[in-house]
Amino acid sequence: MTLDIHQLSKVYKEERGLQATSFKVSKGELIAVVGHNGAGKSTLLKLLGGWLVPDDGDVRIDGIDLHNRRAIVREIGFVPETPNLFDFFSVEYNLTLFARLFKIPSSRVVDTLMDFSLFPYRRNKVQMLSKGLKQRVSIGRALLANPSLLLFDEPTSGLDFEMTQEIHLLLKRIHLSGKTILFSSHRPEEIKSLATRIMVMHQGAIVFDGSPDEYFESHIHQNLYA
Amino acid sequence: MIRNIAILTWNDLAIACQNKTLYLILFIPLFVFVVLQLVEGSEPDIQKINIGLLEQGNYRPEMIQSLKSAEQVFAISWLPNEAAGQRWLRERHGDGILVPKGTTAEDCTLIVLEKASLQTVAIVESVTGLQRALEGRSRDWIVEILPLQESGLQRQMLPTWILMLVLVVGFIVLPAQVAEEKEKKLLLGLLQTPIREVEWLLAKVSFGIISIVIAALFLHLLTSFDFSLGGGLSYLAFLIAGGFCFSAFGIFVGFLCRTQASARTLGVLFYLPLLLPSALADYSKTLDGVAPFLPSYQFYRPIKSILLEGGDVADYPLELFALLGVGLITSLLSYQLMKRRWLM
Repeated sequence: MTLDIHQLSKVYKEERGLQATSFKVSKGELIAVVGHNGAGKSTLLKLLGGWLVPDDGDVRIDGIDLHNRRAIVREIGFVPETPNLFDFFSVEYNLTLFARLFKIPSSRVVDTLMDFSLFPYRRNKVQMLSKGLKQRVSIGRALLANPSLLLFDEPTSGLDFEMTQEIHLLLKRIHLSGKTILFSSHRPEEIKSLATRIMVMHQGAIVFDGSPDEYFESHIHQNLYA
Repeated sequence: MIRNIAILTWNDLAIACQNKTLYLILFIPLFVFVVLQLVEGSEPDIQKINIGLLEQGNYRPEMIQSLKSAEQVFAISWLPNEAAGQRWLRERHGDGILVPKGTTAEDCTLIVLEKASLQTVAIVESVTGLQRALEGRSRDWIVEILPLQESGLQRQMLPTWILMLVLVVGFIVLPAQVAEEKEKKLLLGLLQTPIREVEWLLAKVSFGIISIVIAALFLHLLTSFDFSLGGGLSYLAFLIAGGFCFSAFGIFVGFLCRTQASARTLGVLFYLPLLLPSALADYSKTLDGVAPFLPSYQFYRPIKSILLEGGDVADYPLELFALLGVGLITSLLSYQLMKRRWLM
């Protein structure tokens, strides 16, 4: 899997968003996108996840254009900061609905429920679940179609320590299974323990792109969290 | 494609069950039925009969004199002509009009709102009583009774209630549902699957049409309304066309809003101006002039004709095209907003 981003941009009225940005991602990378609020992290992930329409630029994943939405959704799974699940339905219903739309056999739903330890909660309405469990359902749903690239927008935002550790383990497990991951984060310890590559964003532009060692030794890290 | 539309439509119906919207759709016909039962069942209070006479009418002087002298029973209103009199009657200012039949002053036609009503019986009995007391003849002054409405209030009100149902689904239910899906990012979630935007739109429109047809059927089951086969098919055709038009319109309204609260407000702003002028067009010349410009009237008029006057879909091709046209235009606008992820 290769992700090739060329001059991708999205500018809002308030002149926030993403300036023309280019970078490449190779298979198996686990990239942390860091930066202050409003730096453009979520805009970048939402553009790749199809939540926003870019003003300009070209994005290709294994040669498939981002505009070819029906093909690209099988390659990219997006997990938003707040799980966007059908709250008043059960966990199983949420997964089954998406499995049907992806034309995936229902056995995959059972596998996902087992893989993410959601089987005991399968008949529970999503609105009755904790935020951590909702996040697990959201991740399971994003993985239903077995995409090669996963995008996580602040995956541990608002979670307690225990749930955060659980999500970290999940991310590591997904990464070890051969998936490429991009996630945005504010937490230095999360970035340190997970990322194989770090991109720092500031005012809609990537101002640093390197390994975790380079990042933690650089003045950028010190300035960012000073 | 059809499979995806079916899955999404089923999902919309399930959502409508879960968030109680379906109860609203079924509650309205039930409420309408109960109210109409009460209206139909209540005995009108006839203390004095308000009878209309034409100013230029060639009445027998004895009849006028006896009506005037029976002031405990009759209140007389003088009307400029028969058309004004019919309007006066429809607006329920009076109970009946006596119109001279032909050129002779001997016989009169009694025009009433409904033939089988307490008012009609009271007028006939009282006028006959007066005539017999005065002339003692067996021949009545009233030789004919002409009703303006062939049926009861339930039947007369039915087109208005059907219009209301269609507009409730179109402008109250659907905008809020679309805005909720946008507000909770559910639509964006669905667009992360291989469905086409048009499939989602068609599923929403299908949900609207199905809800409208279910609600209308429920209302007809309660009121035991009879249809001929042709009338039933014509009625179904307009229900589907109206359902398509106002569901598509409602979805577009939903797309213009970021939150459910604003969608509800905007929905009501469309709902009332589309409902009232069309439903009240029969009672006001001004509204009768304005209503034909509204899509709701293009639905109301044929439905009224089919339900009450034995009309047919073939009599209203322009209205049918107008409904489909408005539906198509608003669907295209929604599609464009969806493609741009407008306010999502």
